[in-house]
Amino acid sequence: MMKKESAIKSESINTGTKPTWCPGCFNFQILAGFKNFLEKEIAKGKKREDFAMVSGIGCHAKIYDYVNLNGLNTLHGRVLPTCLGIKLGNPKLTVFGFSGDGDAYAEGIEHLIHAARYNSDINYIVHNNQVFALTVGQPTPTTEEGFKDKTTPYGVKVHPINPIKLMLSLGAGFVARVFADVKEIENILKEAVKHKGFSFIEVLQPCIIFHPDTGYRDRIYSLEKAGHDKTNIKEAMKKAEEFDYNTISEKTRIPVGIFYQEEKPVFEEVILREVKGKR
Amino acid sequence: MRLNILFGGKAGQGPNVLASILGEVLVKKGYYVFCSRDYQSLIRGGHNFNVLTFSDRPVYSNDSELDIIVALDENTENLHKKNLKKSGIILRGQHKNMYFAGKLFKILGLEFKELEYELRKLKKRFEENMKEAKLGYSEAEEKIKINSMLKVSAKNAKSLNFINGTQGIANGAIKAGVDIYYAYPMTPATPVLTELAQRQLTGDFVVVELENEIAVINAAIGSALTGAKSMCGTSGGGFDLMTEALSLAGMAEVPLVIYLAQRPGPATGVPTYTGQGDLNIALYGGHGEFPRVVLAPGDPLEAEELTSQAFYFSQKFKIPAIVISDKHLAESFYTLSEKPTITTSKKLATLGRYNSYEKNPATGSATEDAEIIKKNVEKRLKKAKDIEKESKKFNRYKIYGKKTSRNVIVSWGSTKGAIIDSIKDVDVKFIQILYIEPFPLEIKRELEKAEKVVLIENNSTGQLGALIREKTGIFIEDKILRYDGRPFLSDELDREIKKRFRLK
Repeated sequence: MMKKESAIKSESINTGTKPTWCPGCFNFQILAGFKNFLEKEIAKGKKREDFAMVSGIGCHAKIYDYVNLNGLNTLHGRVLPTCLGIKLGNPKLTVFGFSGDGDAYAEGIEHLIHAARYNSDINYIVHNNQVFALTVGQPTPTTEEGFKDKTTPYGVKVHPINPIKLMLSLGAGFVARVFADVKEIENILKEAVKHKGFSFIEVLQPCIIFHPDTGYRDRIYSLEKAGHDKTNIKEAMKKAEEFDYNTISEKTRIPVGIFYQEEKPVFEEVILREVKGKR
Repeated sequence: MRLNILFGGKAGQGPNVLASILGEVLVKKGYYVFCSRDYQSLIRGGHNFNVLTFSDRPVYSNDSELDIIVALDENTENLHKKNLKKSGIILRGQHKNMYFAGKLFKILGLEFKELEYELRKLKKRFEENMKEAKLGYSEAEEKIKINSMLKVSAKNAKSLNFINGTQGIANGAIKAGVDIYYAYPMTPATPVLTELAQRQLTGDFVVVELENEIAVINAAIGSALTGAKSMCGTSGGGFDLMTEALSLAGMAEVPLVIYLAQRPGPATGVPTYTGQGDLNIALYGGHGEFPRVVLAPGDPLEAEELTSQAFYFSQKFKIPAIVISDKHLAESFYTLSEKPTITTSKKLATLGRYNSYEKNPATGSATEDAEIIKKNVEKRLKKAKDIEKESKKFNRYKIYGKKTSRNVIVSWGSTKGAIIDSIKDVDVKFIQILYIEPFPLEIKRELEKAEKVVLIENNSTGQLGALIREKTGIFIEDKILRYDGRPFLSDELDREIKKRFRLK
């Protein structure tokens, strides 16, 4: 029988639940980055009740078990509509949505497409390990061609989605990619929370068991340091095309940081203003 | 004495407007009107019709035999003349719809100024409509003196309300304090979306249309978590898509109201027609075992009351509550004199740590602990018991007709109207079940007292009958089932009931 967890202190952002990710999992980096961000916000005067988090189903979703924020560990693929409902219910909350690549790009991709249109003030973090890890290693929509597992003995025959390009083409107002590193996560969350509207953050998060790092870390470079103009959509698209999630060669370079940022009308603000304005 | 008028034509010719104008005027004068709508799944052309039945006594359904046919096109006459009484009248010819309004008003002995008032209310094409209406009025003779045939009082008129099931649901939601309504368009649930969307401009709530029913229910759950009174609406196919999240609402203990407006299935079925084939999905949709409430109004008044009760139960017990209606109730206009009793409810949900997993209540985190799982399951079971206890404060079933009769009809939902109209003068008792879940077990006693029981449903298998057997052990063999997408008509049903009970 599992050990009973002791009751948590309500003000703490730790649940005390023991993580069950594999030792060395890159999810620990995301968790630590998120907690660092929250702790600093709380030190600056925010309360844990000012935040809400939603996670989906998959290894990523366990983050909900380890962070004592209000919210919901929801169904597979349904993180974004849940976040949208929370924002419409209480627009004052700072809302974080966590998804895996299965959640975001397979089961729930329709919601991702519309989230980019709605532009609700949601901070959406996709743990993209390019594999269904918790169900032991099947390919997802971002898995590269040729990938083999027990369910694809002949290998994956279709090309992966490029989520950065997808988001840019849909007019998302904040599109970023980072590597699963504690400092990078904390920094990008600061930027995302500051941004009013939908913030899409993809985290390259190798799965040490089913989809290990095939050299991503050696190939990443900072968009900011490279002088990328994040207000230029054409440049952003060019940068997005530099890495297709499919092939890694000697020449592959993977840009990380903010591809594109533009403030646009926020869904809940528009709706509430339109409706209440006419009363 | 009941008069039946059919207004038929192509979609776009406006039979619906004619029916609603006459309905409004008659109700204002104190007549009881029932008006149903039959339309095809197309935008222009085809054949649409409304049947308006009126009387000086309450009416809740149409008859198959017609007194007047207003034929806006030839097809209407061809299709419906077989149902015209020998003494019946057909209004035909190449005219715009308001010409027929004028003619009909004259035939019925109604004053022209009453029609003029309604035309002004339309706010569209007033001059043109007036010209047509005047012409029609001048070309007709008063043939049916409804004033002398049907005695009504202006005093009575003041208490009458001409309302459809859609408005009932919307009124109930607004009076219960809905904060947010989510939907994706699907007939016949769309009218509630439209009604609430319009009324949000003057009310204290918002209406949000999202990309599909899955987004709709998950967003509704998200809003409910923050404490908002949250509701969503759909029809059978959309409800199927929602059922995974219905199960989530049960697990996470989220107060949520779902409006389910039935149409004939399976699959896309017959989108703009009526049926009661979705009782089982309302009752059993969603995986796992969790408490829920399923309420089935039979008229717009009950739609209003039960919607407010759905909010009450969903908030008090933090559960999903389903209000199940159908196209016939949603889109038919009823004349009601009673005022609804609204059940108020406090907002009881607060933002906390919710979970789709079985959760450890101490942390809000997912758990696989056998002891906690067992406790959680038992908590949900107890909730179902508490809900059942609480439900006894409400009218879970109603009895109509001759209360001492041992001839018993059992039914639910929109069949109520035709049944009540059919059993007026016969030795029959009608039990209408409003609470599908929790089911009123007292029904068992009622059925045991009966000599003969007949089940009436607008489906092909008798889903309420199966539920009654499950809950009471009583098998109702004798069923009157209609499953052609059409509602029961009172004269036909009357004959069938007399046959089944061997009544004269």
